[in-house]
Amino acid sequence: MNVFFEQYFDFHIMGEHFGQVFEAFLQNLLIFVVAGIVALVWGLVLALLRQSPGKKLLPFRVLTIAYIDVLRAIPLLVIILIISGGVPFLTFIPKGVRIPEWFGEPDPFWYGVAALVFVYGAYMAEVYRAGIEAVPRGQMEAARSLGMSHLQAMRHIVVPQAVTKIPAPMLNEFISLLKDTTLVSFIAFGESTLVSREILAEQLNSSALILTAFFFLVICLPGARLVDYLIKRNQSRITRGSHIEVA
Amino acid sequence: MAEPMVQLKGVRKSFGKLEVLKGVDLGVGKGEVICSLGPSGSGKSTLLRCVNLLAPPEEGEIFLEGRDICKGPGSGTGESSWNLDFVRQRVGMVFQQFNLFPHKTALQNVTLAPQRVLGKSKAESEEKGRALLQRVGLGDRLGQYPETLSGGQQQRVAIARALAMEPHVMLFDEVTSALDPELVKEVLDTMRELAQEGMTMLVVTHEIGFAREVGDQVVFMDGGVVVEQGEPKQVLDSPREERTQRFLGLVLER
Repeated sequence: MNVFFEQYFDFHIMGEHFGQVFEAFLQNLLIFVVAGIVALVWGLVLALLRQSPGKKLLPFRVLTIAYIDVLRAIPLLVIILIISGGVPFLTFIPKGVRIPEWFGEPDPFWYGVAALVFVYGAYMAEVYRAGIEAVPRGQMEAARSLGMSHLQAMRHIVVPQAVTKIPAPMLNEFISLLKDTTLVSFIAFGESTLVSREILAEQLNSSALILTAFFFLVICLPGARLVDYLIKRNQSRITRGSHIEVA
Repeated sequence: MAEPMVQLKGVRKSFGKLEVLKGVDLGVGKGEVICSLGPSGSGKSTLLRCVNLLAPPEEGEIFLEGRDICKGPGSGTGESSWNLDFVRQRVGMVFQQFNLFPHKTALQNVTLAPQRVLGKSKAESEEKGRALLQRVGLGDRLGQYPETLSGGQQQRVAIARALAMEPHVMLFDEVTSALDPELVKEVLDTMRELAQEGMTMLVVTHEIGFAREVGDQVVFMDGGVVVEQGEPKQVLDSPREERTQRFLGLVLER
């Protein structure tokens, strides 16, 4: 058993590389925050496009549904590789965009952010959709009958109610998103998984990877508990509200 | 009939293969109260939804203050602002399930559309909103959320909300059907006052007493057509059509 503990829980190695792995983990968090915020907005845009009314907007609906389905069907890693492997060579795109180095972050960071936004935007669009569809039809009808446009009704009536119904599934997406930031290590971005793999290769010891796992646990476990709490709270709200609906 | 406000000619409406309205003709004069009765599925509610284009008809004409609201660019799709703005600024609607905005207070429910659609200032719309809620007897409930109000109070807020847009016609879609019996009167009283003030109203209801007392005309619908129409007394007390007699027999028997 000693061999086991030395392989995975060598506190000497953990201590020696703690700062290095922690700093790399902060890069995971940074990707997470940037991609998370943009995906949250992109997902809402997709959800609204998908719910757009009328015959004229049918092409937008079809395109949006196709986008959402396709992006959810392709492995995230493949998308990351497609973007980072090809975009730098698309010479018709301005250099500052095709090889982005914004805010002092290297281009793999931005390729990773882009891939995560494209894919998680699609996932989050579906979460928004569930929320929007959970708002009774009568809300939209009442808003429209008062003269509001479809977009006004969405903005002031439907979406504000929809977002109160989805914090739990949305938080689940965020937990997945944080974990998936590790895939950006495949395109040589120095986040925690890449750094601990380098330590593994150097020392033939996995303790740094365990340290990385620990950092993710610290963030994701409370998140999972929070999801459960939100689901319970939402359910009790529904049961409390139900008699009012009928009254 | 007084100056015509709403005029329907041969209106047809289907949902998929189900034809709900099979050619309806109906006229509502200015200041008139028309009460529409009929069994469920007879197309009464769909008729109201046609008039404010929530469910644009496939065939026929609907004139609102003389303008055919089913013609013009993009008509029939339900998304052409050409007619929608015209209609929705003139026609208010109150729903069976109230459909109040649960995340807004009573006052905010009433002031939202005037602010966003008519571009009124907060102060102006709130002053008007307060007066309207006062008028429906809820002047002391301004800051309350719908879930803290009774069904009757919610429905009165919904009436005030529709009135805030200063409609020329009000549509009422079985507005007392979802209410506990003891709460029905307060809503009917509000509607009665509205009728006395000269509002043009198209009322789908099962309240025979209300139709008799307040209605200028009673329209009996069944199977997507108007079966019988006339003064309340005539239609309710001595209906000519057999279908009307049968329906009234069933309703009054209760």
